[in-house]
Amino acid sequence: MPSTYILVAGDARIGNLVAAAAGTRITAVVVGTRAVADAVAASAVATVVWLGEPGENALEAFAGPVADVVAAAAPQLVLASTRPSDRVLAGAVAARLGAPVSTMVSEVVVSGDGAQVTRGVYGGIAQEVVAVTGTAVVILDGGASGTGGDAPVEEVAAVPAGVVVVENRPAARTQVDLGRAQRIVSVGRGLKSQDDVAMVEALAAALDAETACSRPLAEGVSWFTKDRYVGITGQHVSPDLYLALGISGQLQHAVGARGAGTIVAVNTDKDCPYFKEADYCIVGDLYDVVPALTRALT
Amino acid sequence: MKIVVAYKWAFNPQDATVDSGGTVTWGRAKAGVSEYDPVAVELGRRLADATGAELIGVSVGGADTASPMATKSALSRGFDRVVVVADDALAGASTTQTALVLAQVIAHIGDVDLVLTGDSSVDVGAQMVPAVLAGALGWPSVMNVTTVSVGAGDLRVERAHEGGSQVLAVTGPVVLAAASDAVVPRVPGMKDILAAGKRPVEKVDLAALATGPSASSVAGVSTSRPELKSRGGRVLAGADVDAVVAELVAALRATNVI
Repeated sequence: MPSTYILVAGDARIGNLVAAAAGTRITAVVVGTRAVADAVAASAVATVVWLGEPGENALEAFAGPVADVVAAAAPQLVLASTRPSDRVLAGAVAARLGAPVSTMVSEVVVSGDGAQVTRGVYGGIAQEVVAVTGTAVVILDGGASGTGGDAPVEEVAAVPAGVVVVENRPAARTQVDLGRAQRIVSVGRGLKSQDDVAMVEALAAALDAETACSRPLAEGVSWFTKDRYVGITGQHVSPDLYLALGISGQLQHAVGARGAGTIVAVNTDKDCPYFKEADYCIVGDLYDVVPALTRALT
Repeated sequence: MKIVVAYKWAFNPQDATVDSGGTVTWGRAKAGVSEYDPVAVELGRRLADATGAELIGVSVGGADTASPMATKSALSRGFDRVVVVADDALAGASTTQTALVLAQVIAHIGDVDLVLTGDSSVDVGAQMVPAVLAGALGWPSVMNVTTVSVGAGDLRVERAHEGGSQVLAVTGPVVLAAASDAVVPRVPGMKDILAAGKRPVEKVDLAALATGPSASSVAGVSTSRPELKSRGGRVLAGADVDAVVAELVAALRATNVI
C-alpha cells in the first residue's frame, strides 16, 4: 500500500488531509503538545510519530527533525496544511528529498511509485496535471478535525533548532472562520472610508452573513482584520452566496471565492473582470446599492 | 553581519493570457520586482542600517533577471549589492528548484546570518520558497514576520500568530518571511535610481553551482483552463436602484439562495 506522511504543527485540524490520503497508509508526524498528538491519533491515521513536548521552543524549530523522520521513510505523498508553521515543516521535507511542492491542488491520485497531482498554476489562471515520481509534497487546506481513529502514538526524541518563544501576545478577539460561512458580504477598494464599514456590516446583518474584504482593505488600510481577507494568499471560501461590493474581480481575489454557489458583483464599471464570473452583475455605486439592498431585506 | 533578501523578478499573472489548452503566454506583460518583496527589502534595510550590516539582494530566474532594468530596479530599493543567477533553464522554475538554487547562491556568498523574503510571489503565490530554502540551508524558518531586531546574542523576531503575535529569540542563522504589511516600503526616488546604477551586480553561472541530485522527478501530463462554474452573468442595471435591488432579491429568493 502506498504511504502518506501528514505533517502537523500544533493544530490537529487535518480532516481534509486525511481525506486526500484515502487508500494509503497514513503516518502523522506531530510537532506540538501531547494533547495535539492525541487529537491527531483520533483521526483516521495508522500511526502517530510525536516529537515530544515542545516546551518553550517554537514549533518551527522542529522542522529539521521532522525532515529526518520523513526522509527515512521516503513516502509517495507528504501532506501539510496551509497554516504557516505547517508550511515550514513541509518546506524542510521538500528540501531534504528534493521533492516538488504543489499548492492550489484539486486532486491527488497516489500509486506505487508516485502521485498524480492536479494543481492550479500562476495563481489559478491555468491548471496542470503532473506525474511525480518519488515523493510529492502537497499543501492543502487542513479542513476540520478528523474522527474515527485510535492510532498508537510513538514518541521520537528530537533536537530543536534555536528558536524559542519568549513572549505570547494572544489575540484580543476570536478569529472568524470564513471557510464555514454560508453567506459572505465582501467589499473592496470601492469603499471610500473606514466609517462606511458600518454600512456594509448593516447589510451583512440583514443577510445573516459574515463580512469579508479584498486584500487592500486588510493589509493596506487595516479596515478589516486579516482573517477576513479573501484571495489567493488569504481565505478560500465557498458560501452559498458571495456578494462582492466594489471589488473589480482581479484574479488574485476572485480565485478565493470561486467555490461560492451564487456570486453577486456590484460595481460602477460595467467592464470590470468580476462581471465575467458572477451570476448577477449590478452596474451601480455600492453607496446606492448597499443601503437599498439593506432596506429591501429588513 | 550579512543580510540577504531573496527577491523575484516576475510577471503579474493578471497580464497573461491563457489559451483553451491551458498554455500561458505572457505577451506584453511587464516584469518587475515581485509585489511583496519590497517589504522584505525595507525590513532588511532598516536592520542593516541599525547594525552596520551589509544588505545583499539575491535572485534566481530566467535570463531577464540579470537585465540592467531588473538589477537597477532591485538595487534602487536599497541593496548594497545584488547577486543573480540568470539562466533561461530557470525561467518558470518550480518552488523547490528555485529554493535549492537560492541556497547554493547563499552558500556561495558565505557567512550569511539572515535571509529575508517577501510573503509570496506575485506569479506563483505558493508561500513555500522560504520554507524550502531554509530546509536546504539546514536553518529554521519563520513566516508572517512583522519586526526583526538584534538582541543580546540573538535575533528578536515578532511574528503574527493565530490573530495575536509571538516574540521569538533566534540563535543562529534563520530564514524569515516578512508579513505583507510588516513595514511600508519606501518608493525609490531619482537619487536611489541613479545610485543603483553604480552599485555592484555579480552574475553567478548556474553551471558553477552544485545542485545535488533529486530523489523525485516531475513530468507534465496535461494542461487545461480551470473549470470555472458556469455563471449566469445576468446584468441588472437601471436608474431606479430600488427596482434593481428588488429584481435581485426576487431572483435570489426564487433560487432559495436567501
